[in-house]
Amino acid sequence: MSDQPTGTPTFADVNRDVLRTLEPPGHRYFAWMSVVALILAGGILFWTGQVWWGIGMAGKRVPQMWALYITTFVFWIGIGHAGTLISAVLYLFRARWRTSIYRAAEAMTIFAVLTAGLFPLIHAGRMWFAYFLLPYPNQRYLWPNFRSPLVWDVFAISTYLSISTVFFIVGLVPDIAALRDASTGWRRRIYALLALGWEGSDNQWRHYRRAYGLFAALATPLVLSVHSVVSWDFAMALVPGWHSTLFAPFFVDGAIFSGFAMVAVLVLPMRHFFGLHAYIRDKHLDAMSKLILVTSLVLTYFYLSEIFTALYSGDHFEKASLFWKVTRTYAWALWLMYFCNCIAPLIFFVKKARTHPVVIYVVSILVLIGMWFERFNIIVPSLAHGFYPYTWGIFVPSPTDTGIVIGSFAWFFLLFLGFIKLMPSLSIVEVKETLPPPMRDTRHGAHH
Amino acid sequence: MNRRDFFKIVGATGAAAATAGCQGAGEHILPLVVPNEQLVPGVASWFATVCRECPAGCGVLARNRDGRVVKLEGNPDHPVNAGALCIRGQAALQGLYHPDRFAGPLVRAGGGLTPATWENAQKLVVERLAALRGAGKGRAVALVTQLEQGSLGVLADRWTQALGARPHVTLEPFAYEAIRAASRITFGRDAIPYYALEEAQVVVSFGADFVETWLSTVGYTRAFARMHAFRDGRAGTFIHVEPRQSLTASNADEWVRNAPGTEGMVALAVLRLMLEEGLGDRRFADAVARVDVKQVAERSGVAEATLRHLARAFGHARPGLAIGGGVAVSGTNATETQVAINLLNAAAGNVGRTVRFGPDSAYGRVTPYAEVAQLVQAMQRGEIEVLLLGQGVNPVHALPAGLGFAEAARRVGLVVSLATQPDETTALAHVILPDTHWLEAWGDYAPREGVTGLLQPTMSPVRDARPLGDVLLAVGRAVLGSEEGKGPLPWASFEQYLKAAWEPVVRGQWAAALRQGGVWRDVAPAAVQATAGPLAAGAAALEGDAGGFALLAYPSLRFYDGRGASRAWLQEAPDTMTQAVWDAWVEVPAEAAARLGVATGDVVRVSSPHGALELPAYVSATLHPQAVAIPLGHRYAPYHVPRYVAAAPTAMSPAALLGPATDAASGGAAWLGVRVTLARTGARRPLAILQATHDQDHRELAQHVDLRAAREQALRGRAGRHETISMYADQVYPGYHWGLAIDVDACVGCQACVVACQAENNVAVTGKASAAYGRQLHWIRIERWAEGPAAHPTNTFLPMLCQHCEVAPCEPVCPVFAAYRTEEGLNGQVYNRCVGTRYCGNNCPYHVRRFNWFQYEFPAPLEVQLNPDVTVRQLGIMEKCTMCIQRIIAGKDHARDAKRTVRDGDILTACQQTCPTRAITFGNLTDDTSAVTGLRHSPRAYTVLEELGTRPGVTYLKKVVREHA
Repeated sequence: MSDQPTGTPTFADVNRDVLRTLEPPGHRYFAWMSVVALILAGGILFWTGQVWWGIGMAGKRVPQMWALYITTFVFWIGIGHAGTLISAVLYLFRARWRTSIYRAAEAMTIFAVLTAGLFPLIHAGRMWFAYFLLPYPNQRYLWPNFRSPLVWDVFAISTYLSISTVFFIVGLVPDIAALRDASTGWRRRIYALLALGWEGSDNQWRHYRRAYGLFAALATPLVLSVHSVVSWDFAMALVPGWHSTLFAPFFVDGAIFSGFAMVAVLVLPMRHFFGLHAYIRDKHLDAMSKLILVTSLVLTYFYLSEIFTALYSGDHFEKASLFWKVTRTYAWALWLMYFCNCIAPLIFFVKKARTHPVVIYVVSILVLIGMWFERFNIIVPSLAHGFYPYTWGIFVPSPTDTGIVIGSFAWFFLLFLGFIKLMPSLSIVEVKETLPPPMRDTRHGAHH
Repeated sequence: MNRRDFFKIVGATGAAAATAGCQGAGEHILPLVVPNEQLVPGVASWFATVCRECPAGCGVLARNRDGRVVKLEGNPDHPVNAGALCIRGQAALQGLYHPDRFAGPLVRAGGGLTPATWENAQKLVVERLAALRGAGKGRAVALVTQLEQGSLGVLADRWTQALGARPHVTLEPFAYEAIRAASRITFGRDAIPYYALEEAQVVVSFGADFVETWLSTVGYTRAFARMHAFRDGRAGTFIHVEPRQSLTASNADEWVRNAPGTEGMVALAVLRLMLEEGLGDRRFADAVARVDVKQVAERSGVAEATLRHLARAFGHARPGLAIGGGVAVSGTNATETQVAINLLNAAAGNVGRTVRFGPDSAYGRVTPYAEVAQLVQAMQRGEIEVLLLGQGVNPVHALPAGLGFAEAARRVGLVVSLATQPDETTALAHVILPDTHWLEAWGDYAPREGVTGLLQPTMSPVRDARPLGDVLLAVGRAVLGSEEGKGPLPWASFEQYLKAAWEPVVRGQWAAALRQGGVWRDVAPAAVQATAGPLAAGAAALEGDAGGFALLAYPSLRFYDGRGASRAWLQEAPDTMTQAVWDAWVEVPAEAAARLGVATGDVVRVSSPHGALELPAYVSATLHPQAVAIPLGHRYAPYHVPRYVAAAPTAMSPAALLGPATDAASGGAAWLGVRVTLARTGARRPLAILQATHDQDHRELAQHVDLRAAREQALRGRAGRHETISMYADQVYPGYHWGLAIDVDACVGCQACVVACQAENNVAVTGKASAAYGRQLHWIRIERWAEGPAAHPTNTFLPMLCQHCEVAPCEPVCPVFAAYRTEEGLNGQVYNRCVGTRYCGNNCPYHVRRFNWFQYEFPAPLEVQLNPDVTVRQLGIMEKCTMCIQRIIAGKDHARDAKRTVRDGDILTACQQTCPTRAITFGNLTDDTSAVTGLRHSPRAYTVLEELGTRPGVTYLKKVVREHA
């Protein structure tokens, strides 16, 4: 490969470079942490206000009983998808370019799901009774309504969170053992606990590999199922613009699309600030860019199908809803979405763009914006122009819901910033696997 | 035990609890040592009384639960309203429990009003009156009350005579003096007759807005429904002539838009054409000999063909009825107009048939406006030293500014107000002696000859108030220096006076009369002869800029002359035509709006020679291009600001723009009297308009059928109806299946059901900003759907509430079973289980589910009104129409006690109960004999958004539209 950097790192380089990311952080890191924590504190204050005074503090109304919270919820769930896809699906397909990014992607998944999981609580009118959605035994024999897609959500998301957490921890075990051996004090004790007595024996490696493969196989269907279930929140409803069988694959593709964009947004600065160019190479960027391009094309196809279905069905309500979305109050959001999700990624047809970090970064940011607006466009404008003309209306965000949504980003980045200083954000083990081992012929290991 | 003892006991316990609750003072819990057999905890008592929110005098039943009145319903026995109540009647409770009600007497000291004892406050008045009497200046005392057509009025007259004061003035801003004067001129009888709308085949109204305020809203709306609603293949025709498409005009089969002030000439032209066609009494030909039809058509903007069509329709009717005299069209020529209408009736032979003298309206007894003006002049000259103003009168706000009442009142030495709550007039008062609310008082009221309703206290007074009658007696005796039992005012209390006055009438049957709500008898129609001299067709004279717009100041259905405006329920109930809540507006014709460059919500300065108002514009495609319209009576109560509306704007009522002009012949106020100019201010005050659009976008929500087709279908049944096909089994109803049928043809859009539901179901008030943002909480709403040309649409009113779908989209999406289907066909909502995901709200295609966005409060003492049978909802949960589940339960209990199943009439939902046109029918759909089942299978039946397969339990009956000429 011509774009391969000249200096291939050795095993020692890997240890050094990865562990360097865990060195006590500098002022800049803490500055970032403070900024993020401050924004999060603002979000928490807004939430407190909303719990105290009522959901009316958020800009919701009739007909938009759902708005920014569910938009952001679906957005974060979508973000979470790339992690599992990279770690499990690509693992099973033996796509070795995943190794340098999958740890960050998995962490991102968990944090994204943790962020997303807050939104049903934030959204509920009486969040203190949200536990009613859990099927817990009680003396009144009251169960949740298993016909409701919201209950399916509860199961889908909790399953997803637990599987990806286990998968993440299992993948971490050998690396944590390495950290344990390299650290002292309280860190050592924590790492020792998390390493589960890892010694690196052949036996352990054999079990580890089997378990990892098994979890990968278990997690794979979740990539499809979780976002399908989330999409049914809409598809199962009657609202024009929601009631569509297209939604499950449409959502899954969109999730992968946005997930990869988020991975790029997180990994590129990591590579820059920690000097990980030797591990996150141009070929990795190229592969990610290609995936973003492919999922973008598929998404474009879905958009076209959506429009076609509405027109071809002859359904008055669907057509009215579509025309309204395309031309009226929220048309800017729709066209912004089309630009970000369908037009912007086309630049990846140019080979140079696929490896240019700035281009990838900008496109990824656009994709994230576009995908947030995709969910916005599904929820807010569809509800704005539903069956009943009497209640047609325009949603206007309030400081509360805007603040909480921004706060959720802060929460996500806070978790991620913590992660990169506490855990090896590159998999030491897997990166080493891709390198030519010492004392071995370099022709065997380098390429795939 | 008699009723007085009962009230003493209720008073002892209830008053302590109620007043403590109201004033937030220490609580006094008194044990009910001797249980009152009439007061069963948890069981309501009903007291019959008379609604005094306007002079129509409808009979009311007040539902008293544990000593507190929680709901008002129409008295089914009362001949005026027969069980129905209008929106204002339903909201009267908010006057009773008004948070701003005076807690006790107040005396002005150093600019502000300070609390005083009754003794001290009354002493101030007594001393002043005694001094005047001593000085022989009794004429310097004036007593002004609202129309009290009964014992209180008689007592007031007696009081003024005893004290040598000026004659008692009854002040009603809307007095329909033109009708009275025209009756005098045409028929030689100084009275406002009874118009038998119910018996007419064709009604032609020249601006008589009977659905809104004209004479007796409930009575005439009820009569209109009987005449107009499609029944057994028959339906009458209603034609309305008015420059503005009012609510009444919207209910007309034909709305004729005329130039402001030209109703009289239109009526004359119609009469002339009718006689030309040989359709009337030729004796009246001379009267219209000078009428030039072409010229009338030109000046009124009503095409000659339309005039001819009107003449034919009216002339062929057996019988027909022409009515007029609506406040908005009462100009300087109001009497001439009404004379023309009288002649129309006379020529068509309607007098004695649909126009009946005998059961004359109490409005005919209002003190003429000319005398009110004389009083104001006397005040201005400083001749009045003591002015006593009863409750319900707010002349500073309600009378035309050109009369100068406020200025005049400032020259009165002692202004005594007996109002129950602060208003523009009490702001000028020196002493306030708060009257009791009519729900707390004894009295009687005769809305028309032959009908006298009895008022009785339905609960102990909420505040420290004394009835006007008692105050008059006490003050009068103190001034005269006479003792109780002696002199011209011997009675100890007004109650005693009332009973003494009634004894000859009821002859010991007092309790029975009270229970019935009064006494009524048929009044024989008085024979009258119409006489007519030649009449000229003139238009109303308008003062002001000749290039300006005629100002249509119209009384509103919600506020009347402003009396209703302090009720938050009425502020939040939308004006049906504009669907606006809270704020006032100026209706600007579309052409003028385009010229000025204003859109709905842009503030416009409306200037007349007598004042100016700044109001948000409402751009109207229907209004006559030479007119602007502003509803009368808009104002806020102190507690509304800033709770429900941001800031207190300046005056909002067009009374501020009107001059002293009068209708020359009758002396009545000319409400149509000025031209105004409009100017854009550049500011914006967006209106809170609840309905996003009046265009159904081909969704067939409000459907209609041609009269001919309806007749055909009524005869032969409707072909081509198919049942919804489903893969799932139909729901089985082991017992009842509750359903509603709503006749869109009968609905006039009066909004009474909206407020009745609010009162019954503890629906909170949200305020202007929330309502504007789709957060209002009404469980039922009246939608207006317009079809046809924008300038001349046909409006259909569609009451929309939870449809109680069999296949309800709200239910499967609820994750916790808070929304569920009951065995009796209701969509239940378990408040305690609701988490507030609002998924059901999204998925309801009708968007009738309401969410508690905040914790809504019921400012004290309004919480006393809350229906104890209905949960008050917490923040964060969904609510919606329950089909009055509490009434269903009570009805089932009642039927079970009688060892039978529920029958029609056992259960009336609150909306159904109050509906003046009986548009809503509730009942059991599993019972083939029930009315609702019959209506469900009517050829006119349809369900809204049927194609969604929701199978609603609410059936609508299509509006029947007439073929136009």
